[in-house]
Amino acid sequence: MSSAALEIKLSRPSRIYRPSEPLEGKIVVKSASSISHRGVRLAVNGSVITQVRGGAAGLVESIVGAVKPVVIVNRIIEVQPPGRIASGTTEIPFSVTLKQSGGDKRERFYETFHGANINIQYLLTADVTRGYLHKSLCATMEFILEADKAELLDQPASPEIVIFYITQDTQRHPLLPELKSGGFRVTGKMSIQCALSDPISGELIVETSAVPIRSVDIHILRIESFVFGDRIVTDTSLVQTTQIADGDVSRHMILPIYVIPPRLLTCPTTSAGSFSIEFKVAIVISFQSELSKMQAKSDPRTPRLWMAMETLPLELVRTR
Amino acid sequence: MEFRPRNYKREKESRALPRARADDHPLCTPATSRPQAVRDNRIEDFFDPLRGPNTDVEGAPRNLLDKERTSGGFSAERNDPHAGDWHSFKRLLMQRFPISKMISISSISDGIMKSNKVDEISSTSSRLEELDDPQKFAKEGNTSITRQEYVFRLTDFKEKILQAWHSDDRVTALKLTIKVARLLMDTSVRQFYPTLFVLATDVMDMLGDMVWERIKQKAEFTVDGSKLCSLAENFDATGVCEDAKETCNNWFYKVGAIMELLPRIYLELAILPCWRFLLVQPADCLHRLVKMIRGLADPLSSAYCHLYMVHRARKLLSRDTAYMITCMNDMNILLMDAMSLKRDVSKTSEEKKRLLINLIEPTIEYIVHHIFEDTPKEQLATALVDLGLGGKGDNKVISCVSIVAHCYIKELPADMVRSKSKEIINLIECCNDCSLDKCLNYRLLGFRLSETTSPQDMVDVVDHVIQVVLLWGKLDEFLKVMDAFLDLVLQNQMDNHILNVLEGIAMLARDKAFTEEELGSLQSILVKLVSHFEDLEDLFGLNHYLEILDMMYGRPRSIVNVHILDRAIRKGLWQDHHIIQLLFGISKSLMDEIDQTSMIDNDYQQPARLISRFVSMVDYGSDVERHLAFLAECRGAFGSINELKEALVHSSNSLAIQGLKHSNKHFSFIMSCIAYSEVTIPSISSPMKQSNLYIETAEVALLGGLVSHAEGLAESAVSCLQSLVLNGSPGIADVEGVLSSFQKLCSLLVMVPANTGPSLNYAPKSLFVFSDSQSKMIPRTTTRLFSAIILLSAALSQETLPYRADNFGIPGNDQLFYGDSSYSQELVSISNLAAQKLVDAIQQEPSSVARGIMALEACNCIASSFRMSPETSNICFKLLGIAKLCLGAQDKYINSTTKFLETCSLPSSDEAQEGI
Repeated sequence: MSSAALEIKLSRPSRIYRPSEPLEGKIVVKSASSISHRGVRLAVNGSVITQVRGGAAGLVESIVGAVKPVVIVNRIIEVQPPGRIASGTTEIPFSVTLKQSGGDKRERFYETFHGANINIQYLLTADVTRGYLHKSLCATMEFILEADKAELLDQPASPEIVIFYITQDTQRHPLLPELKSGGFRVTGKMSIQCALSDPISGELIVETSAVPIRSVDIHILRIESFVFGDRIVTDTSLVQTTQIADGDVSRHMILPIYVIPPRLLTCPTTSAGSFSIEFKVAIVISFQSELSKMQAKSDPRTPRLWMAMETLPLELVRTR
Repeated sequence: MEFRPRNYKREKESRALPRARADDHPLCTPATSRPQAVRDNRIEDFFDPLRGPNTDVEGAPRNLLDKERTSGGFSAERNDPHAGDWHSFKRLLMQRFPISKMISISSISDGIMKSNKVDEISSTSSRLEELDDPQKFAKEGNTSITRQEYVFRLTDFKEKILQAWHSDDRVTALKLTIKVARLLMDTSVRQFYPTLFVLATDVMDMLGDMVWERIKQKAEFTVDGSKLCSLAENFDATGVCEDAKETCNNWFYKVGAIMELLPRIYLELAILPCWRFLLVQPADCLHRLVKMIRGLADPLSSAYCHLYMVHRARKLLSRDTAYMITCMNDMNILLMDAMSLKRDVSKTSEEKKRLLINLIEPTIEYIVHHIFEDTPKEQLATALVDLGLGGKGDNKVISCVSIVAHCYIKELPADMVRSKSKEIINLIECCNDCSLDKCLNYRLLGFRLSETTSPQDMVDVVDHVIQVVLLWGKLDEFLKVMDAFLDLVLQNQMDNHILNVLEGIAMLARDKAFTEEELGSLQSILVKLVSHFEDLEDLFGLNHYLEILDMMYGRPRSIVNVHILDRAIRKGLWQDHHIIQLLFGISKSLMDEIDQTSMIDNDYQQPARLISRFVSMVDYGSDVERHLAFLAECRGAFGSINELKEALVHSSNSLAIQGLKHSNKHFSFIMSCIAYSEVTIPSISSPMKQSNLYIETAEVALLGGLVSHAEGLAESAVSCLQSLVLNGSPGIADVEGVLSSFQKLCSLLVMVPANTGPSLNYAPKSLFVFSDSQSKMIPRTTTRLFSAIILLSAALSQETLPYRADNFGIPGNDQLFYGDSSYSQELVSISNLAAQKLVDAIQQEPSSVARGIMALEACNCIASSFRMSPETSNICFKLLGIAKLCLGAQDKYINSTTKFLETCSLPSSDEAQEGI
């Protein structure tokens, strides 16, 4: 029996496409002998998959947690009618445009996103069906969808900047006594509306701190919510931690906040009927403490005695 | 046999070559160009041993390159001049901080431990040695590995990264590099950090270069390998295709996602040059990166991170130096914090701080160096203001850590140091931390100021510095600073300040002994003064100079003394009694020092030479008695220097001659000179030198009319030679020396009148005895000795001696004994014996050529000394026969000797003699 392999190659190495752009590429068939087939088909599939992971919901729900996916797009195109593919390497080009002119205006192409509970995923599946005696050849590839340029905002004219300050009094959780008594004050500013292609930027100044600082970190958090049965499940998870100060930094020095939002793990802040994806940014200051060494590997979001934090909402947008 | 009568005067006239006046002095430099050209050509062929290393220079870099090639350097990097600079800097870092064998590793850098599943070497004992701080002992996860192991693992990392990269697993390559960068977070073993830095940045540079090449490839070629465009050396982002930009962006995304600050910065710096594909103004990133580095609180890692940034930023081809200035200001603040930490003031923390400063210093130096190198000249002033140097008004002066100030002073262009000297002093004044002694900054300033000579007046500056440093009241520091400023003072002829400096030293040194360190600086100061003053009178005239010199001791003092003496002997003759006494004192103290310390030959030689030179350069003019007294004093003081005693004898002899010249009245003075010499000579160790000096003194004695002294001295000379021969077998050089001394003695004896005692011709006889006694030595010398005796005897028998000493009233032998038959009989018999011995000796010579020549020499000697008689010609023909046998009949020398014999056998008429 001859072996044959199927592969999808996209025109862009980055695999990033927009809905109104033609999604181009080729299906590559490598076969030692010629193959007869009943047609080469290409399926484009986009869907929002929501599922409950442990923790956010009860045990029972996590067992039956999979919610029926919301289909964004599902189309099958016949690239080649039934016939034969010669032996050797054969390339079959294709071109699909997701957004059909005159299509449903309400049709929304959410951007690709891989979260903890919500996945927005676009897949291309190539399929060469053969006779009953033969197994059909199949290949799948994910491509990344970004919103159409035409729909995008221009660069936010005046990015919204928030001034924050963190002291022992702004903390809602218990602190170490020496922190409480000695006091500290960390101030700064930060843009809370941010283009995905740009870094999240801001400044931070340690004004005073009686207890030496161990580290200052910026956490990007995402909040995924979706309707599950008759209630809304909300789960907050950590996307990325970026340390901006290592050790007891000099006082009154301007430290830059410069965090590049990770691709795939972030997307524009989205709110649809059945689900929403939001982001937050947390500034966490950890102080030097013997206690912290005991529990070095805990969830950084958990408030601890030797930590001070401030959480700000973060709106991520796709800009031109 | 009978002596041939000779008329020396006529012989001399007839044989003298015709003389003509020359136009040029034969030794003066030729004015024509031709001989010079010849000289140049000769230089080409001439192998100068000192040029040896020079010719190797061409080979050396090749070797270096080869080495680099084998060590896996990148081809792109080799063309870059900056790469060489960095390479040598790295090597310097490694050398400056050599590391101990074991390195303890804290839990942060266990990446290196986990990476290989090699058995971890950890032994408690080695850990104990390594831990500089006992607290860490309590920490978990501290393991020790050997240095080689560590280096080996890093190179292993490097190989793995290369492997991953080449097998298109670039993500793994990046991950491994991040692991390496993480190692730099561990600053617990400080001493090891520079080495770690060098090793780790090597890996990161490699990755950075590979990424650069990859993106460049993408920008220049399409996927299927056809050429898109070629990027110029100084391309900018506008012409770069989207695909390349996309890849480049991805790298920055990946690097940006690293959680820890330090590896994130390092990795971005590694791929920093790639910003050029993305941004038109890539240097803008540097300002952000500088600020990001502020997040590193550990001064050590922060400093090295800055260093790496400056290194990588040079690849951006930007001439922007503003970021480096921010760098320096940030480091300044960080260091100030680190220095002022008052948590514990114990000794160990002081030591730690010092170590820290030591480790950080090269990074500051490198950055400051590049600030001043890269900033265009016209912007330098602004750059300085930004660095906190030379702003307007007092409040503009930013206080600064001493070590940073030190680097500023060190790296500033020399003319800027001059023009900003006041601001620099302000800066130094403001530094009040323990990172570096203030006086070292002043010291450096002094050195830098003396580098250029500009018309600018430095009086105020010097005044100020002297005042300030004097106020500290610490001699050691004062000396260090003044040592540096002295160059400046001397250059600008600020004589007042020299006095101020000396006065300051004298004041601070009162009632205390110098320490070793102080002596070192003091030595340098005093030596500088010595070499500055042309005239020793001026030097000794300086207030406190001699006082300070007197307070010194040990080797430094000797060194100063040596310099003073060296200066003294360059000047010419010394006549001033006062100075001579001072120099004598200096020589004496030098001598004492030599005597005290064990005499190593090299150390001893120079001072001894200098003292002898000085003694021979003393000249009291007509006051010869005083001079002789001085010589006597010298003998007492420097009796242990052989060389000097020789000089002393020469001096006393020349004194005697001087005395003779001035007047004849000083007979007793000449006596005392001769006596001085006579007494001094026996203490000289070498018999050869002794005999030569005896001969010299004998000559002087003869000139002074002291015949018996002369005779006695000649006798001593002979006995010296005798002892030389008797005491073991002398070397070839000695044999030659004996021969020449002997000949010299013979020529002297021509003038010495014979005694009318029992043995009339004592001298020739004793010479004969000597010659006979040493005939067992090489026959060749023996024949010459006997020849000399024959010639002496022949000369003494003449009616008129060839030369005489009668201008001092001494009668010659010719006047005393000519015609005395017993006198001439004695001479003839001695000569006869000598001639016999001569012939015997010739026959013993083993080498035929030498024998032939000796026979001819002897033949000539006999023929010219004796009147031709059957007996004489018999001997002569016998000798000639030997010569012919040995040399062959055609020899030129034989021919001319034959001719000479023929003319001798003619009846002795004046006409015939002239035909020769």
